[in-house]
Formats: sequence, C-alpha cells, structure tokens
Amino acid sequence: MMDLFNRFFGNRGGGARSKDEAKQRLKFLLIHDQVDLTPAQLETMKNEILAVIGKYVEIDADSTEFKLERDDHCIALVSSVPVRRVVERPASAPMPAAEAEAAPAV
Amino acid sequence: MSECIVITSGKGGVGKTTTTANLGVALAQQGRSVVVVDADIGLRNLDVILGLENRIVYDLVHVIEGTCRLKQALIRDKRLENLSLLPAAQTRDKNAVTPDQMRELIAQIKGVADYVLVDCPAGIEQGFKNAVAGADRAIIVTTPEVSAIRDADRIIGMVEAAELPEPQLIINRFRAKMVERGDMMNKDDILEILAIPLIGVVPDHEDIIVSANRGMPVAFDDNSIVGEAYRRIGRRLAGEPDVPMLDLSTPDDLWTTVKRWMGMAPAREVAR
Ligand SMILES: Nc1ncnc2c1ncn2[C@@H]1O[C@H](COP(=O)(O)OP(=O)(O)OP(=O)(O)O)[C@@H](O)[C@H]1O
Ligand SMILES: [Mg+2]
Repeated sequence: MMDLFNRFFGNRGGGARSKDEAKQRLKFLLIHDQVDLTPAQLETMKNEILAVIGKYVEIDADSTEFKLERDDHCIALVSSVPVRRVVERPASAPMPAAEAEAAPAV
Repeated sequence: MSECIVITSGKGGVGKTTTTANLGVALAQQGRSVVVVDADIGLRNLDVILGLENRIVYDLVHVIEGTCRLKQALIRDKRLENLSLLPAAQTRDKNAVTPDQMRELIAQIKGVADYVLVDCPAGIEQGFKNAVAGADRAIIVTTPEVSAIRDADRIIGMVEAAELPEPQLIINRFRAKMVERGDMMNKDDILEILAIPLIGVVPDHEDIIVSANRGMPVAFDDNSIVGEAYRRIGRRLAGEPDVPMLDLSTPDDLWTTVKRWMGMAPAREVAR
C-alpha cells in the first residue's frame, strides 16, 4: 500500500537512492586509483600473508577478511584473521625462516 | 601582503573559469585590487566570461617573452576599477611557458595587486604545472559527480605534492532538489570523500548561462542567488571564514507537505 502510494507520488524508497551508489563507487575507485593493484594481485598478496601467518598460528582461513580502507588521504590494509591456536612445533625447532624466503616476491 | 590563488579541478568543464571570474569580481567589490590570470594557454575563455575580449592587445606569453610590459597587457575592467585581466595567448600552446617563467610572472603581478587569481586549464600536464607554479594556495572546484570528484582527489594529491598548503573546496552545480531526493551527493558525502575544508557551494543555475551570454559575471547581480554564493565565497577567501553558508534547500511543495504531515515522506536530506 505504502509502496503504491510512494510510486504514485514519484517517491522511491530509501534503498534506491542513486547517490549512495555514487558514493560507494567513488570510495572503491579512489582506493584503487591510489593502490594500483589488480584484484588478482590483491588476492595473491592476501594468500601470501595468510601463508606467513599460518606458519605461526593455526587460522580459520574461511573467515578471514582483507579490506583496503581510506581515511583522509591514507590507505590502510585492514585485516581480520581469526586464530584457532598456536601451531605446535618442537620447542627447539627454529622459526621456519627458509620457507618465507621461498615465497615469491610481489 | 598579496596572495596568489590557483583555481583548479582536474576534470574539464566543472566551472573553473566561471569561478575565477566571479571570485575576481567578488574580491574587487570588497575593495581589494585583483588581477585574474588566464593560464589556459591556447584555449582562452576568461576574457569572454568577463566581457573583455574586445580589448585584448597583448597576452601572458607576450609579457613572459618581453614583447610588452605587464602594465600594457593588463586589461582594466571599466565596471570595477580595481579588477584587471591578464589574458592567455590564443595561438600558442601550453609549452610556450615554463613553471619558472610563471613563478617570475606571478611574483611581478603580486607587486601590483592584493589578489592574483589563476584560472587553471583542465588536466594534470604542463598547463597544470604552470598554473600552480606561482600560487600560494589552491581552490579545487568540483561538481557532485563521481568522475569530477575522482579527478578532484587526484588533483588534491598533486597540489600537496607541489608543496602548497591544504586546498579548499568549492562544490559547483549543486542541485538542491536532486540532493533532497537522494539522487545527488550532498555536501557531507563529498567532504567525507575528499577530506579538505569547504569554502562554498554554488547552485546549478541558469543565471550563469545568461551572465556568460552577456559577458557580465553573475557576482555583479545583487539579485542573483548564484551571485550571492560567489560574493560569500569571496568574503570567506578574504579572511571572513565564518560567513554563513547559503541555504539552498527548496521549499516543500503542497504534496510533500501533506505527505510529511502524514508521515509518508522520507526524511529530508539536508541541502545546505
Ligand atoms: N553553477 C553553474 N550553473 C550552471 N551552469 C554552470 C555552472 N557553472 C558552470 N556552468 C557551465 O558549465 C560550463 C563550463 O564552465 P567553465 O567554462 O567555467 O568550466 P571550466 O572548468 O573552466 O572548463 P574548462 O576545463 O574547459 O576550462 C559553462 O558552459 C558554464 O556556463
Ligand atoms: Mg576554463
């Protein structure tokens, strides 16, 4: 009923405001103008970071989140990586540094 | 102490020339001596907006190349004694001058004026570099559109890279009706994204076209709301930062009033 009323009087509900789309698109654009990485490169970066973290702690890979955010003119990589527990390794074993070097550079 | 302000935008056609002309008039009306400089070499327009195109003898490149003295090239506006124009060369291109030459020229103009306003060409190339070379600060003009704001953001970065202080923003071609129905970004949306201080909002208005037809900037018109917008920006520019923003919101029509009364109209976007 309200819907019909609104349509009749040329009023689109709050969800359809084109300025919200404009703002969302702009935020995305400005981050990517500045960072200049392709989605594929971002994905690779994320996987490499996760691989490094995974050497020290066991993580919940499915619920990790990586986002580029912009505040004033600074871009930050904001990530949330849920940790299950510390990876078990013998107390005397060195940190697995050699593996880190083997990872391809971005 | 005199000051040089460059009016820039990145994107073309958003209102740099219109803004430069009107702020020049607004500052001169306050009794300051003002020189507006057209730095859009090869595509001069500021002369036409000001209605001074028939009086051009020499231009900016002539002064830089030493063909004439600065005084000979400045065109004094007969309507406002203390406003002058330094026109751009029409038959040369942007590479005819260098940033160093511009810096020297602007320093010379600052010796004869309180304010030097530079109308920057669109783009981020040589023309932009020339226009910002002698400037003490910058005003960024944008419209409430994705592409214009994106380019404005890029230019803000370049202004900072040129070691100018944080620029101020003018939002041009603002349409209160569209903002109120959520089809145009409002002041706060744009400021959230660009994160620089706002110095004024200019409505989209047919007075601009009429005034361009006549070569009579709208800031001369005491009865025009756009003229008022520019006059207020002029006062903020010249050291009165607290001049209130124009209220651009539209009055409700009968139906909206009824709907609002019945609780059926959406909350209103603030369009000031
Ligand atoms: N507030 C306004 N309301 C209506 N029309 C406007 C407004 N501001 C600018 N315009 C129109 O937009 C057009 C472009 O304006 P202007 O020449 O000032 O832009 P510009 O940024 O200097 O362009 P360019 O990048 O080509 O130098 C003109 O036709 C002008 O009349
Ligand atoms: Mg122009």
